[in-house]
Amino acid sequence: MSSGERISPAAVQDEIIAEMSGLEDWLAKYEYLVARGRELRTPGDGIRTEENAIAGCQSSVWIRAELRDGRVRLAADSDAMITRGIIALLLRVLDGRAPGVVAGTELYFLDRTGLRTHLSPARANGLAAMVRKIRTYAEEWT
Amino acid sequence: MADATTRVSTDELRGLLDDPRLQLVDVRPIDAYNGWRLRGEARGGHIGGARTLPAKWADYVDWIEIVRAKGIDPGRPLVVYGYDSEDTGRVAELFGRAGYGDVRTYHEFVDGWCADATLPMDRLPRYTQLVSPGWLKQLLTTGTAPEYSGDRFVLCHAHYRNRGDYEKGHIPGAVDLDTNFLESPETWNRRSPAELEKVLEALGIAEDTTVVLYGRFSFPDNLDPYPGSAAGHLGAFRCAFIMLYAGVKDVRILNGGLQSWLDAGFEVTTDEGARHPVEEFGAQVPGAPELAVDLPEAKAILASDDANLVSVRSWPEYIGEVSGYNYIEKKGRIPGSVYGDCGSDAYHMENYRNLDHTTREYHEIEASWRRVGVTPDKHNAFYCGTGWRGSEAFFNAWLLGWPRVSVYDGGWFEWSNDPGNPIETGVPDPDPRTGATAV
Repeated sequence: MSSGERISPAAVQDEIIAEMSGLEDWLAKYEYLVARGRELRTPGDGIRTEENAIAGCQSSVWIRAELRDGRVRLAADSDAMITRGIIALLLRVLDGRAPGVVAGTELYFLDRTGLRTHLSPARANGLAAMVRKIRTYAEEWT
Repeated sequence: MADATTRVSTDELRGLLDDPRLQLVDVRPIDAYNGWRLRGEARGGHIGGARTLPAKWADYVDWIEIVRAKGIDPGRPLVVYGYDSEDTGRVAELFGRAGYGDVRTYHEFVDGWCADATLPMDRLPRYTQLVSPGWLKQLLTTGTAPEYSGDRFVLCHAHYRNRGDYEKGHIPGAVDLDTNFLESPETWNRRSPAELEKVLEALGIAEDTTVVLYGRFSFPDNLDPYPGSAAGHLGAFRCAFIMLYAGVKDVRILNGGLQSWLDAGFEVTTDEGARHPVEEFGAQVPGAPELAVDLPEAKAILASDDANLVSVRSWPEYIGEVSGYNYIEKKGRIPGSVYGDCGSDAYHMENYRNLDHTTREYHEIEASWRRVGVTPDKHNAFYCGTGWRGSEAFFNAWLLGWPRVSVYDGGWFEWSNDPGNPIETGVPDPDPRTGATAV
């Protein structure tokens, strides 16, 4: 494996599923997401623009995607810790992958961890919008 | 799950109500909180002062954020109550795990509290017009339901120029209702009385028909050419307002829209709902003209100290950063309008809804209005860009039984189209979000 390659998106998703399956209930899973949110590194260089904003999310979210050296580089920011946590998981799976991989990866961890169904509907819609935005960029570059 | 919290009796709870620090949390479905007697209790509604936090929300990973957003304070005593011990205990335990130190439970709500008419209860005055999925299911399957005495009803799946939204799946029996049937696509105002009468008759709606409306929220995106097409439940409120204006006597909204129906585990269908047109609407249209306000009345409201023109728009629209719409150029607000904060943008109503799209606790809506001077003693006319958000806010005030409420139908679209009308931008002083005055 060359230095630029990492484990597959599926393997990363399986890691996340394993980490979350050991958590007792939704409060514990919430705390897990908040911890991931605290770890999310956010760029300090003006990511909070209208162009990067995800409209209509329950909390303010900004996602920036760039194509560098043939890879999709993702950066994101939000004031809400749970949203930061979800973004952190999305980036862990998708950041630094080839556009075709980003566009084509089925994000099954969202279902298998129960995240998609156990987010309140308004936040689940926000999650769908974040995924859609990332995919839209990746598809343009594919 | 065993309930390890301290239980309080009816007498003890009655005494605790005198403690201003006490917080009461009602974990029953929000429709029970609003007034529906889901367990046949003697009185509907909730214990005076209680906040709604349905047990259903405890399954959300972001439950604690909802709790925090409601301002439920971990440093103050808390009493949790519901219909049954399991839900009550489960939520109480979650509070304990989340760091709430003084959590007690009350298990005598139906037999102890509701049954004693001397104990304080509160309910949404027009709760019957905001129905639960269970109520609708009962009506659809048996033709009868509590607080329904009619012999005819029509269920409408609302959307904006998006029949595919209906075809994708709707509640069995629902007919397709495009908001364009009722709104003019030139002005986005309500159609003429003659047009409304004809459309309602074709839909099978007479003035004494019970109408239940709902829509689907499917994440409107401001960058779409027609974001309203994804804001179906907002469209349902718009249609509800126009039907009330037209003179339909019994207009109801499915609380939470299609989301609530799906959350209840009920099926949707792709079978077309049958329309049964009526010969005559049966009354003069409009039957309630006072519910709609046009430009001259809007100007009179601005000049009155007994009335508010309430801008149900987002902050960026209110201060003139954005127009909010891809077909409106001018940015800003109507000078003198009151900030009625809808939420994030022209197609979202977060400040009027819970996270599951049910209507927000009415005490919270009242409190947010009170902060900006929107009170029931005044005439309050709600507006937005073209009337959808204004209609949802109006419907909330109407549910509260406020006597003088209306929609300024033309809204920002009409106001800003006339170059003679003044426009204001920037943060007003005082700032309506905080009440703070500029230094």
